[in-house]
Amino acid sequence: MERLHFHEELEQLKLTVLNMAALTQQAFENAIRAYAHRDVDLAQKIIDGDKKINQIELEVDKQSLRLLALEQPMARDLRMIMGNMKISNELERIADQAVNISERTIFLCQYPPLGEIGAMDRLIDISRQMLKKAVSSMRDMDARTAKDVRNMDDQADEATLQVLKSLIEHMVADAPAIDSRRLKTRRSIQTIIISRCLERVGDLSTNIGEHVAFIVEGINIKHQKLREEDPESSQ
Amino acid sequence: MTDPAKFTIKSLNFYYGDYNALADINLDLHQQQVSALIGPSGCGKSTFLRCLNRMNDLIPASRVEGEILLDRENIYAPSVDVVSLRRRVGMVFQKPNPFPKTIFDNVAYGLRVNGVKNKGVLREKVEWSLKQAALWDEIKDRLHQSALGLSGGQQQRLCIARALAVEPEVLLMDEPASALDPIATQKIEDLIHDLKKSFTIIIVTHNMQQAARVSDITAFFYMGRLIEVGATETLFTRPELKQTEDYITGRFG
Repeated sequence: MERLHFHEELEQLKLTVLNMAALTQQAFENAIRAYAHRDVDLAQKIIDGDKKINQIELEVDKQSLRLLALEQPMARDLRMIMGNMKISNELERIADQAVNISERTIFLCQYPPLGEIGAMDRLIDISRQMLKKAVSSMRDMDARTAKDVRNMDDQADEATLQVLKSLIEHMVADAPAIDSRRLKTRRSIQTIIISRCLERVGDLSTNIGEHVAFIVEGINIKHQKLREEDPESSQ
Repeated sequence: MTDPAKFTIKSLNFYYGDYNALADINLDLHQQQVSALIGPSGCGKSTFLRCLNRMNDLIPASRVEGEILLDRENIYAPSVDVVSLRRRVGMVFQKPNPFPKTIFDNVAYGLRVNGVKNKGVLREKVEWSLKQAALWDEIKDRLHQSALGLSGGQQQRLCIARALAVEPEVLLMDEPASALDPIATQKIEDLIHDLKKSFTIIIVTHNMQQAARVSDITAFFYMGRLIEVGATETLFTRPELKQTEDYITGRFG
């Protein structure tokens, strides 16, 4: 009574989501690089590539719905399907953050660099690590790594705060007497949005970790520490 | 859930000759609950079910060890009257097995065997049983026609009505829907859902989705042992043991 056919399809679903994760991770890495190296072409490439990731999300939903309807999965199989549907949703939103960062980058590249922004490098590094960990926990179905992701969330929040402080200083220094177009303020606001995106990537990676833990252990660890969700800001 | 168990099974072993078909089963089954027994063919789940109303007594060279308590009394005690035990613990089989009699006489059969002669009482009980079995509306105008003219699903509900007529406390169901089409199956499942308010129901099924749909408690048997028992929702979403997980997800090698 081994359900070989079904388990092959389940494996296929897993591969589809892993493929989506790889593309999303690449989009995010590229977004960071485009921002750091002021690379407009690369930023545009990320914006154009987002369609593909959206399509995969639809494909994951379609495959999952089919398996739920036709195979009546149980236990870990059921959790695997539910979890992967949710993970693909998080990945899609991470890819949207990459697009958002790229759009801000294109704006920023019209002007000279803003100068030193405290903790921005650290925020970039933490959010990258969080996503990397989340994806590797997915690949290995490793609950421990998955739970590790959210332990980094506080660091990400802390770095975001530092970035914000630093950018406020830039804005305060932007006296109208010096520049009537207040370019420094504009650039700072765009950069704040980028920092929000990075922090969101950390949050969404945390969610992925929680979904992986649910798939592996069957226990929902979400909302064990409740945190107020920030509204998605895009401008 | 703190009410005393309807059935308490203690260290139950069952042998067909030398073959140990059930090994050290310990289990509580509660009132107003549907308990489902699942497991691959030959795992002992039907043997276990038949121990609960001593149907296995009829099998030569079979032997029971341990205790099965029904309302705290051992049903294998020498003083127990098996006929009255089976009145308290009714059974419905895999294949509908109506007697070649009228619908009315099928349902009235157990009552008559138990000495009920009053026609008014018989009519009343037959109607009550057929209503309980969700069959009354379909057949009330042909009570005196042969039961063999009913569809498979109707015959099975008739057998349930027949089992209910003597007002048992427990209803054992051995694959009650496996010979039925999906619509008839749906009716039986709905019926199980309604009946659990008044009866303790224990069902053996090969169909795991069915166990998941109808039961409150699921017990997984494998090779004569009770591997895992728990709330149905937990067992089908997050079983404790890998063996259970492998069985319900179809990874049994």
